[in-house]
Amino acid sequence: MEEVRIGVYICHCGSNIAGTVDVAQVSQYAGTLDSVVIARDYKFMCSEPGQEMIGRDIKELGLNRVIVASCSPHMHEPTFRRVCEEAGLNRYSFQMANIREHCSWVTEDHEKATEKAQALVQAAVRRVFYHEPLEIREVPVNSNTLIVGGGIAGIQAALEIADSYHKVYLVEREPSIGGHMIQLDKTFPTLDCSACILTPKMSQVGSHPYIELLSYSEVEEVSGYVGSFKAKIRKKARYVDEEKCTGCGLCQEKCPWKVTSEFDMGLGQRKVIYTPFPQAVPNVPVIDRQNCAYFQKGKCRACEKFCEAGAIDFEQEDKLVEVEVGNIIVATGFQTFDPSIATQYGYGKFDNVITGLQFERLCNATGPTGGNIQLKDGSIPRSVALVHCIGSRDENYHDYCSRVCCMYALKHSHLIKEKTNSMVYQIFTDIRCFGKDYEDFYQRLVKEGVNFVRGKVQQVTSANGKEADQGRLIITAEDPDNSKVTQVPADMVVLCAAIESQQDANEVAHILSISRKADGFFLERHPKLDPVATMTEGIYVVGCCQGPKDIPDTVSQASAAAARVLALISKGKVEIEAATSIIDEEKCSGCRICEFLCPYGAISFIEDKEVCRVNEALCKGCGTCAAACPSGAITSKHFTTEQIMAEIEGVLV
Amino acid sequence: MNLELTQQIRDQARGLLKSGTVKGVIGYERASDGLTARPFFAYELTGTDQLIFDETCSHNLVKYLLDKKGEKMAVVVKPCDSLAINLLLNEEQIKREMVFIIGVSCTGVVETAWNQKSQTLQARCQTCRLPKPVVYDFLAEQEPIRRLEGELYPDILEMEAKPIASRREFWHEQFGRCIRCYACRQICPGCYCPECFAEQLSPLWVGIRIALGENELWQTNRTLHLAGRCTGCNECERACPMDIPLSLLNRKLEKEMEELFSFRAGLTSEEQPPFATFRKEEKLGFEE
Ligand SMILES: Cc1cc2nc3c(=O)[nH]c(=O)nc-3n(C[C@H](O)[C@H](O)[C@H](O)COP(=O)(O)OP(=O)(O)OC[C@H]3O[C@@H](n4cnc5c(N)ncnc54)[C@H](O)[C@@H]3O)c2cc1C
Ligand code: SF4
Ligand code: SF4
Repeated sequence: MEEVRIGVYICHCGSNIAGTVDVAQVSQYAGTLDSVVIARDYKFMCSEPGQEMIGRDIKELGLNRVIVASCSPHMHEPTFRRVCEEAGLNRYSFQMANIREHCSWVTEDHEKATEKAQALVQAAVRRVFYHEPLEIREVPVNSNTLIVGGGIAGIQAALEIADSYHKVYLVEREPSIGGHMIQLDKTFPTLDCSACILTPKMSQVGSHPYIELLSYSEVEEVSGYVGSFKAKIRKKARYVDEEKCTGCGLCQEKCPWKVTSEFDMGLGQRKVIYTPFPQAVPNVPVIDRQNCAYFQKGKCRACEKFCEAGAIDFEQEDKLVEVEVGNIIVATGFQTFDPSIATQYGYGKFDNVITGLQFERLCNATGPTGGNIQLKDGSIPRSVALVHCIGSRDENYHDYCSRVCCMYALKHSHLIKEKTNSMVYQIFTDIRCFGKDYEDFYQRLVKEGVNFVRGKVQQVTSANGKEADQGRLIITAEDPDNSKVTQVPADMVVLCAAIESQQDANEVAHILSISRKADGFFLERHPKLDPVATMTEGIYVVGCCQGPKDIPDTVSQASAAAARVLALISKGKVEIEAATSIIDEEKCSGCRICEFLCPYGAISFIEDKEVCRVNEALCKGCGTCAAACPSGAITSKHFTTEQIMAEIEGVLV
Repeated sequence: MNLELTQQIRDQARGLLKSGTVKGVIGYERASDGLTARPFFAYELTGTDQLIFDETCSHNLVKYLLDKKGEKMAVVVKPCDSLAINLLLNEEQIKREMVFIIGVSCTGVVETAWNQKSQTLQARCQTCRLPKPVVYDFLAEQEPIRRLEGELYPDILEMEAKPIASRREFWHEQFGRCIRCYACRQICPGCYCPECFAEQLSPLWVGIRIALGENELWQTNRTLHLAGRCTGCNECERACPMDIPLSLLNRKLEKEMEELFSFRAGLTSEEQPPFATFRKEEKLGFEE
């Protein structure tokens, strides 16, 4: 065996480490350890001069192992591995000791911190002694992309990727793409008509040669890894043949059954065979099985009689489609908080207490009132109150700010002013108009004569004391600064209900192996520096599924993720983990525990030898099998028992 | 000798050998003390007359199947032993089509020693709830005589009630006597690793000195490797020449597995033992 020559580098990280740990002492200590040829400390190891110092030492002192004691491997392991590689070493000759997150940041006791830093360095020195070079391998990237969710986020990402001539599978669980944006009337701050700017993109998606739209579908299973994922998608039965349907709409006209419309947020009605809205993409209706007279009572089939194309198919069944893709973009959006949970707001009790999304439908020309802002009884409100922060910034529900409510409440105020003579009250806790041109919009509304009342709403009651929705409503609000209570009379109350993570976010997270934050939204790799990637390589999160945001931010994220995907496609290959697991066939008892546990399906059973074997191309080196093997037959490379034992001994001495 | 069961076993064994269905039958014969039983392998038709069954047939014969992987064998199993069959099927150590299971509806066995047998049932039989094997091809039946009720783990509850210090003292006394003969492991149907951790040298998981600390490490590890896998046949305790009450360790884990995971090893051959599964949704109290 060649002589082991170790270089140890202790980083000050400015004062982050040096403020607590006596770095000079640690470095001096490191110099006394076995096989350590050089030990140095330096202000910022990750800086150019820091990196150069390591590179120079490797060459001049003939180092063959390098240890940097600094921050977490998550931050800088790639940096220092690269330095090693550039100086001619295998990247696995490197080891990082975390003396920041695990040490200086968690105590103020200088002596103990220094002692622990020394122990961590000792552990790394002992471990690195057993490091072995591993071969770096690459696999090709499949150029197809799967996008889950067809709101503006998914639509934008799909178009960007498909326009570069790469295939996209866009999976949307509703009968049509469009998401929440297609429900909106106008969009702040420019007030362009939401449908007018969105439908061109939707129809582009519908006809794009590089986009395969799988609407009314859901992803059930995802396996594989960056560059080659496999996804199983369930295409739910529409009971209408997509190939034959011409989208004439006759079936919807003739269907005799009506139910409340989800798209109109319960304010209007739709038929049992329906497209959610006229510009739906694809323009193919679905039969709502739960409410269909034929499915429930065995009689009707009116649509079938009138369909000239013969597209109605009551026998249709769910279909499972399998696709292979290299990258996945998650764009599953949000749902809104249900204000009826918070009974003080009177939602569900008073007819004229509605949510922001319901207001969007009320205002919209294709909506249930043809765009007239009116009360339940058809009369025009004399005063409307918009109540902010319903379920947001509220310790009982969501701590976070939903980011768009202030702005859409202002937008709603403007629309009310434009269409009626009504008084408008904004009942707010803070007005947050952070975006480009948003402050101008706010100033404009102040000039339009909107009344701004600062207060957290305590309750909404009926002016005449009756439970039933007769007459005016009274909103009681308390100023958070001086506890002053104000009462505002209104005919209509619009609740700005919080943006929250989708009900099924947990299942989606499971299927895709991504994480969620405590607030329910999907977790990005780094909140500042890597906001669209996730901890799972090749999977990205964009739009409101990652956190509340407006359309401009959603679109930027979607484009960012598309760029990431395209970058990987153009590179054409990804490096795969070299630190895989191997099974010692002499020790294997063939119990197959590892085979069933491996989350990547990397292990197979060799029948004639009655032992298991790891497929290195599939193995991600997670170590599950090595930990589980009762016979101790499995070694995870770079995490061998020798290495780990040496590390443990190092910490303990 | 239980004539009723013995006759059924002999008839079955004869039929199986005659038709060539199996190569041999693993059962019990009378030991040379003329009183107790010992394992017996019948390969010839004549041998089947030596097969017996009675309350001295304590051994779990399933372990022998591990040595007979290449040939189809019949094996006589009591209800408790049958759990080990499922264990080995689940862990892919034996193939279902390679065993013919002669189940016996047992009513309990007694403690035996050379030329001695006690009058009372073994402790494990006193808490046994299985009237017949959980898996079998043929069942040698008799009138079920007993229905048990009451506490399943009286011994463990008693142990748990003792203060830690006295439990430690108890176990130190017990482990102090272990001579590391590994008889417990050799006889255990669940111990079949080609190279046991106790004998691996690199790394040396547990020292081979016969000293309290290392004996203790050996025994706790042995027990833990059987968590959710021990089927309670108690052969280890029977085999232990130093009379170390291993059942107290094994049954403690059995009780924990039941309470934590509602799992009892060997009841089916399909269900993976909890420690051999990994579900992403399991949080085990973390991350909540
Ligand atoms: C009342 C209101 C008014 C607003 N007004 C404005 C405005 O004026 N200007 C502005 O900039 N922003 C506004 N917003 C914010 C805007 O709606 C969002 O920024 C935008 O809709 C986010 O788009 P998205 O694609 O991330 O999510 P969504 O629009 O929620 O789209 C998600 C899509 O994914 C689908 N989906 C979900 N789960 C799955 C699954 N498991 N499988 C397949 N498909 C799935 C959904 O059906 C949906 O089509 C407003 C929001 C509200 C509530
Ligand atoms: S877990 Fe270990 S013994 Fe069992 S099959 Fe896998 S490698 Fe072999
Ligand atoms: S380390 Fe083991 S369990 Fe993990 S991916 Fe590799 S083979 Fe599978």
